[in-house]
Amino acid sequence: MPEDTAAGTKAVTAEATITPSHHQRGEAAAFAIGVAGWLVPGLGHALQKMWGRALGCFLTVGALVLLGIGMRGNLFSSEGGDAFGMLGYVADLGTGSFYFAARALETQGSDVAHAEGDYGTRFLAAAGVLNLLAALHAYEAARGRKA
Amino acid sequence: MIAAFAFNLSHFQAMTLFALLISIAFGFLSRRRTSERVKYIIWSLFLFLLIGVGIGWAMYPFSR
Repeated sequence: MPEDTAAGTKAVTAEATITPSHHQRGEAAAFAIGVAGWLVPGLGHALQKMWGRALGCFLTVGALVLLGIGMRGNLFSSEGGDAFGMLGYVADLGTGSFYFAARALETQGSDVAHAEGDYGTRFLAAAGVLNLLAALHAYEAARGRKA
Repeated sequence: MIAAFAFNLSHFQAMTLFALLISIAFGFLSRRRTSERVKYIIWSLFLFLLIGVGIGWAMYPFSR
């Protein structure tokens, strides 16, 4: 029986000292880290001192957004209308603060009549989904899951 | 301001750039050690390009 061993006893004791309030605070901190990671790509990992991952997320999401804007991709807004427009808006909003930076940079609007603009739209959506994945990863790491 | 970020890329260049950036992000998120990350990035990039070009060729007969 694991409870009979010294390690097992230690684990049971440690488990007993984690009160529900401790657990709730840990969950709240993990959630805050996830939200921070969504707002600023890489911040969720940076707060946990995962510098490589933080830098990797920040640079790749940033590069995808810049390229998407440079290729005049379509940046969806909340007034998209149909379901696909809404889905595109959610994907674009996944970049957090970069969405608003992209809005400010995209002064000429989109040009999806050309292949480049279409590619740009995919770049922007991929940046958002990638950042959401990174934020979820940061949240799971903060909860103590192996990451 | 937008003029500084204007890009003129071919289909292949855009696909390669997309594959490279996504591979780097996946490599950094899913692997811890640098050597493992590099291996993962190279392998992922290769598969992205192989499958992308493969699908392109598979669709070629239906393009006209």
